[in-house]
Amino acid sequence: MLDFLQAVSDGVLFGATYALIGIGFTLVFGVMHKINMAYAAASVGGAYAGLLVLQVMAGAPPWLVFLGAFLAGGVLGWMVYALCFHFIPLSNPLATLMSTVGMLLLIDEVIVHVTAGMPQNYPAMFDDVMLRAGEFSMRGDLLLVFAVSVLAMIGLLALLYRTSLGLATRAVSQQPVAAQLCGIRLVRVNALTFVVTGLLGGLAGAMIGASVGTLSPLLTTPLTVKGLIVTVIGGLGSIPGAILAGLLVGGFENVLQLYRGVTERDLYVMLLLFAFLTFRPGGLFAAKSGRD
Amino acid sequence: MDFYFGLAQLIGVHTLLGLSAYIVLLTGQVSLAQAGFFAVGAYAAGMLTVLAGWHLVPALGASALCGGALACAVGFPALRVKGLMLVIATLAFGEGVRLFFFNFDYQIAKGELKVGPVGGEGFRQIRFFPENGWETWEVMLFIWVFVAGAMALLWWFDRSRYGAVLRAVGEDELAAQSVGINLTAVKVSAMTVGGAIAGVGGGLYAHYTTHIEHASFNILLATFAIAYPIVGGLRSVYGTLLAVIFVQGILVEGLRFMGDWRNLLFGALIVLAMNLRPSGILGKGRHA
Repeated sequence: MLDFLQAVSDGVLFGATYALIGIGFTLVFGVMHKINMAYAAASVGGAYAGLLVLQVMAGAPPWLVFLGAFLAGGVLGWMVYALCFHFIPLSNPLATLMSTVGMLLLIDEVIVHVTAGMPQNYPAMFDDVMLRAGEFSMRGDLLLVFAVSVLAMIGLLALLYRTSLGLATRAVSQQPVAAQLCGIRLVRVNALTFVVTGLLGGLAGAMIGASVGTLSPLLTTPLTVKGLIVTVIGGLGSIPGAILAGLLVGGFENVLQLYRGVTERDLYVMLLLFAFLTFRPGGLFAAKSGRD
Repeated sequence: MDFYFGLAQLIGVHTLLGLSAYIVLLTGQVSLAQAGFFAVGAYAAGMLTVLAGWHLVPALGASALCGGALACAVGFPALRVKGLMLVIATLAFGEGVRLFFFNFDYQIAKGELKVGPVGGEGFRQIRFFPENGWETWEVMLFIWVFVAGAMALLWWFDRSRYGAVLRAVGEDELAAQSVGINLTAVKVSAMTVGGAIAGVGGGLYAHYTTHIEHASFNILLATFAIAYPIVGGLRSVYGTLLAVIFVQGILVEGLRFMGDWRNLLFGALIVLAMNLRPSGILGKGRHA
């Protein structure tokens, strides 16, 4: 029983990063009704770019690396928008899907090329701290990951519900044409959505790097799949859904890793997705049905 | 010369993969599960010829059946969701199949050595062609017979009422439904045909490479599968063939002199192609 609780708590703490990735997918979907397949790759790319801080300034504290990843993620997010969405007519859903998949492969290959395919060590904070309650313990670095992710989510929600940019974003996601008629610049809102999700992604990438200890280009595929699964389970376009689903998937996979081993655990995450698709296709927080 | 025969084999198998995604795309559905059906076909055909000692032709029939049946089974729950949700569901399914084969062990002793798929190591010794003394060009011809068959079948579909129904669903589901077309039947049948074609392609792939492993059936292969018809355009089956020749023949082989940079260029070229011609090479123009 204790093992079970331990696995759940570790998994839920790590699941906060899945939630961040899921939010990125869901936000772009909400605003543009498009999937940005390059998102998880750009997040990992941002985390890698954060390592450049260590190149410039040897012995820089980890939080500076995280900040670098956060900012680099924003830049990458804007680049993905400019290269994969800006010039492509939005009426053609296949084209943006394909262009972002191309971008995913490109970012992946750039990472492999620059690092020669070697996994890179990633700095962590509080990795020597261990909170204990009898046999039960909580890793300090995972707690930090969780706390940073929660702060980022609060920041995002504040941005969406307390600022005029957030108001514009929500307006565009509800009725793009009406929003445009009210003088909201669609292109600007779309681009800024990518920057905001990119910032979140860079942070998520850095948090994943910090809690795993290394970054490797092998992370991008599983992260893309997990992020998309989180998005679907939470309900496409729903931010609270993505948060809850991220924590759920994190806890679920860690429990199955405990009982079935690391090679099989992802198989059960897929089964969880199919269970949701069959019994609750709209996800936890299904958006009201309207246009597709 | 064998190099070119080998390249032609690769192009043939990838054309089958692309065609399997083509028919699903006609109904307006994007399936990233084609690599999964391809994998199932590869393992099924390989196990039948190596472990059960079947001839390749019935084994390929069996892999078409496996691929088709699985696609049909996936089609029903997955097609309850539409558009982008389907992309995600099929992507997860494809990854699920890959992970299944990553964990799949089934070996039997054959003479002195044990044969069969072994999890992460993959499935070696699929030696039907060398054991029966097939030359490379014979294998190539054999593959292209299937490619020609699949292309003729899809070309015929395009000419028939069925093709019109497929395109009607792809153009506008609501309109198609309101003239009495059964959406589920159309989509699931397209998915089934696509799965069967991918299964045959997988079976052929397993036999000409002689060694398959889970890592070959990754998200990149699924991307290739939908990239061919999208890059080639959905107007005709030739677009897919053209795209495979363009990608595998020119990009992958022609850029070999660039070494490591080749892969970099591949992603960049997809991005560029989609910016310049969003409807595909043979598709409508930019502002159509």
